[in-house]
Amino acid sequence: MNMANPSFMNGVPELLILRTLESGEMYGYELVQAIRARTNQAISLGEGVVYPALHALERDGMLKSRRKLVNGRTRVYYAVTRKGEKHLAGLVRHWQHITDAIGLAIGGTAHAAAML
Amino acid sequence: MLQPCFDRLSERLLAAGIAPRHVRRYVRELSDHFDDLVREESEGGASRELAQTRALSRLGHESDLAEAMLARPELRSLTSRFPWAVFGLGPIALLALSVVGGIFLEIWIINHTSFVWAWFHMQPSPATARVATKIYTAYNTLVVFGGPLLFAWLFTWIGTRQRMPRAWIIAGVAIVCVLGGFQNLIFYDTGCRGCGHLLMQSAFIPPFPHFAEGVARAAMNLAIAGGIWWLSARKKTSTAVTLHTART
Repeated sequence: MNMANPSFMNGVPELLILRTLESGEMYGYELVQAIRARTNQAISLGEGVVYPALHALERDGMLKSRRKLVNGRTRVYYAVTRKGEKHLAGLVRHWQHITDAIGLAIGGTAHAAAML
Repeated sequence: MLQPCFDRLSERLLAAGIAPRHVRRYVRELSDHFDDLVREESEGGASRELAQTRALSRLGHESDLAEAMLARPELRSLTSRFPWAVFGLGPIALLALSVVGGIFLEIWIINHTSFVWAWFHMQPSPATARVATKIYTAYNTLVVFGGPLLFAWLFTWIGTRQRMPRAWIIAGVAIVCVLGGFQNLIFYDTGCRGCGHLLMQSAFIPPFPHFAEGVARAAMNLAIAGGIWWLSARKKTSTAVTLHTART
């Protein structure tokens, strides 16, 4: 399944970015490939769209960036800050709550039938 | 051969008020990302052209890339969010700061030079006082005449960089040129040993000293700023025509 509905995706890029960067600093391309691998390519977005989210998260203090020279090219590496870690914990709780609720709604009929 | 050109994207974002530093970084990151995608596709066996086509498609359509940035109002610059503050209050604050800063620097220099004289148990001779007066006068002239023009250039640069509507830039430049013309910083030697007067005036404040001179200086500032603007606009147009002719 490929999910790209913008309204459904609200807050998802931030969650995925923070979660992926939790394992270590990455630059944009590296991050997008890591997200694709983690989500089994289920979430498809234009790869360039990740940068505004990175800039906004950095501006809000969730991420910090540094320039690093790799193979003669300057890359901008992003890493999660303490504030970002706290925000991620909140986002994870929020999404867990939503997925639990949807799981209940989807499984509701079967669950009710089993109860009878 | 396909090569991404982010000039149009960059212009669109700047015109929409996204801060130039974010736009520059975004475009640089997109270019790097494109190169990485081309390399990945080429390594997967695609021809150069196919790799570039796929890379562009993976990167996202220009309108999507723009929308993603525009959906983040927090990335807009202060200039585009508060143009009235930057081009309306900014000139007044900068001029006031320049005069007050100029005076404080002068006072600091005067105090420290007297300290040096006292250290060596010496008194400055009348000739030294005359030279000092000339130096202070030159400094004041630079602050009073150069300051407004420097700030006019600063506001033009800020506005042009952010692709601000011309009216805002003209407003900022006009305010700085007119108000700057009416400010004055004067130092004069009173003749008595160790004395000197440092005077800060504005021809806008009663009793309106040197008002006619202020009007003349404001007109001169406007003429210089306008002239430079006109010359640079003419140069830009001729460069654009040359480029267009070269292309066609």
